[in-house]
Amino acid sequence: MSETINARGIACPQPVLLTKKALEANDEVTVLVDNKTAFENVKRFATSMGCAVETNEEPDGIFRIKITKNPGSQVNTVSSTEYTCAENKNATAQGPTVFVIASNAMGSGNDELGAILMKSFIHTTIDLEHRPDIIILYNTGVRFATADSGVVDDLKVLEEKGVKILVCGTCVNFFELGGKISVGNLSNMYEIAGTLSTAGRIVKP
Amino acid sequence: MKKDQIYCVAIFDSVSHVIKAEKILKKASIPHKIIPVPKNISTDCGVCVRFLPEHRDAVTDALMSSVSVSEIRELFYE
Repeated sequence: MSETINARGIACPQPVLLTKKALEANDEVTVLVDNKTAFENVKRFATSMGCAVETNEEPDGIFRIKITKNPGSQVNTVSSTEYTCAENKNATAQGPTVFVIASNAMGSGNDELGAILMKSFIHTTIDLEHRPDIIILYNTGVRFATADSGVVDDLKVLEEKGVKILVCGTCVNFFELGGKISVGNLSNMYEIAGTLSTAGRIVKP
Repeated sequence: MKKDQIYCVAIFDSVSHVIKAEKILKKASIPHKIIPVPKNISTDCGVCVRFLPEHRDAVTDALMSSVSVSEIRELFYE
């Protein structure tokens, strides 16, 4: 049996759920979607179940996905809950990953504790599997770039590993830390705002 | 980070002890660093104080009377 699902205009995870349901009853299912996220999600879902997938992008922005069950395909064992509206998890985010150190404390409530946590966070960043491309320090966060911050060595290691470190010049001026910044590049709002606006992912501890 | 560098870490029962220890070491100008407790060490606290073995005595002297240190361990980096 075969079935065609018209999933145009429907947001994720609905197209995946419809596809799953159709595949439970049919050996061959053709799905029509009109956006890239739904297309990628349905394709990934079908592939993860071991089905054969043929895709075709039609000129009017419609994606046609033909899914054929293989003898070993296991529709029921695959969870469809991960196919949400958000972009495809497997797709790399467009643009750099930016860590924003916006103050000298991680979280709010107790600044002494916050300072300890932030130092621990910055140190841990070195060993992360997904290191940031860029770290921006602003407001009291710029203090971490001074020699006696306790993490300047960590920031230097990160810089050596290719992480770009931007230190807010206005903030350095405000706290009168001119000449005391030991790591990173002094930066301005044009660069900071530009970096934030083109980031693929922003992490703000 | 140098290869095979040996450090010591002072482990504490609570974060407030870490904060207190940091203040004392800073005041005494003893080089140290706050780091997350290494994964192979079990503690509720989560953060500890790392320092070079050559400062072990200084750290012990500075902290002994005022903070309760659970233990001091050696740590190897590869």
